[in-house]
Amino acid sequence: MSKRIGTFNVNGKNADTIVEPQMLLVDVLREKLDLTGTKRACAAGNCGACTVLADGDPICSCITLAVAAEGREIETVEGLRAADGTLHPLQQAFIDHCAAQCGYCTAGMLMTAKALLEANPRPTREDVKRALSGNSCRCTGYVKIIDAVMDAAQQINAAKEVAA
Amino acid sequence: MNDFAYVGKRMTKPDIYGKVTGEAKYTDDITLPGMVEGRILCAPVAHAKIVSIDTSEAEALPGVLCVLTHKDCPDIRFSRSTMAEALPEFAFTGERQDQFILTDKVRYMGDWVAAVAAEDITTAERALELIRVEYEPLPPVLDPFTALEQGAPVVHEDCADNIAFEMDHPFNCGDVEKAFAEADAVAEFSGVNSRQKHLHMETDVAIASFESDKRLVIYSPSQGPHLAKKHLTKRVFPDLDDGDIRWISPAIGGGFGARLALGVEPAAVLLARHCNRPVRVTTTREEDFQGYSSRTDMHQTIRVAATKEGKLLAIDQKIVSDSGAYLSHSATTSTVNMQKTLGVLKCDNIKGHLTVVYTNTPVTSGFRGYGNPEGAFVLQQALDRLAEKIGMDPMEFRLRNLKEPGDPSCFVPVTLEHTKLKECIDVGAEKFGWKDKWQGWDAAKEGRYRRGVGMSVLTHASGAGGFLLEHSSCVMKVLTDGSLNLIVSPCEMGQGIIGALTQVAAEATGLRYEQIRISTGDTDVTMFDIGSHASRSMLVIGNAVHAAGVKIHDQICERAVKYFEEHQVKLEASDIKVRAGEITSDKAPGVVIDVSKVAYDAIYDFGEGGSQLNASGSYLSTSHHPNHQAAFAEVEVDTETGQVTVVNYVSAHDIGRAINPLLVEAQMEGSLVQGIGFALTEDFVIDPETGKVLSDSLLTYRLPSTMDVPPMEHLLIEEPLEAGPFGAKGCGEAGLVNPAPAIANAIYDAVGIRVHSLPMSADKVLWALKHGTEEAPGQSRVSGQFL
Ligand code: FES
Ligand code: FES
Repeated sequence: MSKRIGTFNVNGKNADTIVEPQMLLVDVLREKLDLTGTKRACAAGNCGACTVLADGDPICSCITLAVAAEGREIETVEGLRAADGTLHPLQQAFIDHCAAQCGYCTAGMLMTAKALLEANPRPTREDVKRALSGNSCRCTGYVKIIDAVMDAAQQINAAKEVAA
Repeated sequence: MNDFAYVGKRMTKPDIYGKVTGEAKYTDDITLPGMVEGRILCAPVAHAKIVSIDTSEAEALPGVLCVLTHKDCPDIRFSRSTMAEALPEFAFTGERQDQFILTDKVRYMGDWVAAVAAEDITTAERALELIRVEYEPLPPVLDPFTALEQGAPVVHEDCADNIAFEMDHPFNCGDVEKAFAEADAVAEFSGVNSRQKHLHMETDVAIASFESDKRLVIYSPSQGPHLAKKHLTKRVFPDLDDGDIRWISPAIGGGFGARLALGVEPAAVLLARHCNRPVRVTTTREEDFQGYSSRTDMHQTIRVAATKEGKLLAIDQKIVSDSGAYLSHSATTSTVNMQKTLGVLKCDNIKGHLTVVYTNTPVTSGFRGYGNPEGAFVLQQALDRLAEKIGMDPMEFRLRNLKEPGDPSCFVPVTLEHTKLKECIDVGAEKFGWKDKWQGWDAAKEGRYRRGVGMSVLTHASGAGGFLLEHSSCVMKVLTDGSLNLIVSPCEMGQGIIGALTQVAAEATGLRYEQIRISTGDTDVTMFDIGSHASRSMLVIGNAVHAAGVKIHDQICERAVKYFEEHQVKLEASDIKVRAGEITSDKAPGVVIDVSKVAYDAIYDFGEGGSQLNASGSYLSTSHHPNHQAAFAEVEVDTETGQVTVVNYVSAHDIGRAINPLLVEAQMEGSLVQGIGFALTEDFVIDPETGKVLSDSLLTYRLPSTMDVPPMEHLLIEEPLEAGPFGAKGCGEAGLVNPAPAIANAIYDAVGIRVHSLPMSADKVLWALKHGTEEAPGQSRVSGQFL
């Protein structure tokens, strides 16, 4: 096994850490970089709890080799807040709608939803359901999560219109 | 209209912030200095003698700290269920203590054979592979009816007939046979639920650490850490005492009843003891599937009888439950099935019998609803069959048999004080449009896609006063800024209890909601309490909070008298009120004093009055204050594929008062979707030859996804319960009870078939559509009825 120093770009910052070839991205994030907001719930790519963005695309960090994430821009739930601490509209909407219960699926839901809204800023309810269909949640029954994503889309669009 | 400042308001909850930012710390997010990784070796066969275990190779692996087997465990058997510590002696007799931390003999595929602690997880897993175990396979017994036969393989040597528990319905009453003989109509339904998995997203995990003063600190997501701690000291490590352990429940990644049983904590403690390092034991999702914690499958037959006018005369229930290899919660959930399920309607002649059987299959446990969803699936279909026989609208049939205050409740020794089930049915039916949609028992449906409607009613508890140890206590202290520290025992698993208790505390004290901070989950800090389950937290813990809150409120009023004097108003404390942080009196219009002033002066009083505002509150519940629900489902059945889609679901809830309707709704939505999974897709499949769990991943076990969420409405029937904090009853558990029977009854209305085993998946529906129920592949072995 060859250990070496890997460089990861996470939430806009470069971090060096020791990686081994068999390490998964979720391990590097959680164990090496202390970013424990990303959760592992199945470790098999089936539940979406570990979803992070790689160059804007949602990926399962539990089945992504760490070395394959080098050179890509990784974004985790910890990177959602603005530099001044303001919550991302998705986070605010999840709070307002009470869309997290135990919270174990929440980081994955937020990251998947962020990718959706970037690709499709005006989704229908059906679009949201489809985008999140690979993210399991045992607690909420999904209703408030879908409500929150719809609401966040509106907030983001309204803010853009004001800015324009 | 009340004029509460916070109670009854739709508000989000304080613990959600950390969950959307990733800051919330769950057990697996905690790292202790020097902590090492523990893993458990699971047996690869369903039933075997362990001839020998050679751990030398594993021990020799660099980085391995210890490898433990049965001989390293305390020589004492315990049950994973912690309920023994909450039950009175009389009720406890049936709770068998039947397993070791690491087993002496393999009783199911996945049974724990050895445990390893190593410097890192990779080494720990490699060590597991190096443990050489010689098994002498024994013939397994994989279903409860075979297990009951003479000469069947024996799962536990001290239980030759494999009967782990047996009892008659605790409240057998009347003369059931006579009632059946005299009835105008008799109906029967047999069915069995599947072993629905809790599927809490956070897999089982625990950290155990012996501090330098020998004190044991456990971090694990328990739903009832005080109970778990007591159980651990009394039954697993008798050399430890209650005070030797500090149990911390960090953020909990879902519970649903699973965390009411011990998980890997005993193994973590054992390893930590042997290697003198903090040990974190983790499990994988596959191990969770192969291992333990699911609903108990209860094979049931229920016979019911009525007069032609629709009076329910008698119920006769037989249950054969498959507990799996160890008893855990199976006996208690099955007895709750008898009480709650049969107790929903008025009936003077009730009889029941329960047999809980050991098999060489994974251990089952208590799951949200705790026997009630399992029972309702069968009873509510038997009731529909009975209504059909007398040609009566099924809703009308239920309406004619409602209990009233003064009748025995579902827990018979306790009288029913409060029920709004009739209102639930009326309001739900109106919203759903039952009168138009229900077209009679012989309504003809045509075409490939056929729609049907069905309904179901339930009663469930707010705790189990009169039965369990239903008391709770809390402590409050007010800081100089008028903020409040509330130290209280609920376990926040996502259900929102922290938010709701914050509202109760704010309302009762008169302090500001935003300034209330709750400390919980640490047994060194909180007072004894049996944990969050049975929808008890709001009623029992909420009342304790209310009791303390009123004391704080009164202390503020007494101290405020002198501030009114400064405004030249002479008042009694009883003239003063505190609300949302402001102190006012009707007798002193225009005068508003901030609570922070009183709170500050109370502490910074160098004279005789100096004392922080503080109070404790306790509550003991002697009744279980049932909540009720009526649900109406509409389904569409695709007769070509057997696919069932829920197209609409309306449910009305008798919950006393909703402290926070948003949180109640969230509970109802979540439990409904769990209920739809229970009804239609979640199938726990065990290989009938080998005992291996075949549905061992989220690919093969179909959890509902966003695509399975139907349009739904949850209606709240609010008439305050006198005994409840601000009138509230418990509400979180019950929502999982009605979906399966309401959907089953709707399927029958749509296509005229009944599927007797859960889930009612497309293949079974299709089979029944093709062949008719009479030729179905199996027969109920409880009654001989076709399954
Ligand atoms: S943990 Fe990665 S998909 Fe489930
Ligand atoms: S909030 Fe618990 S799994 Fe989604």
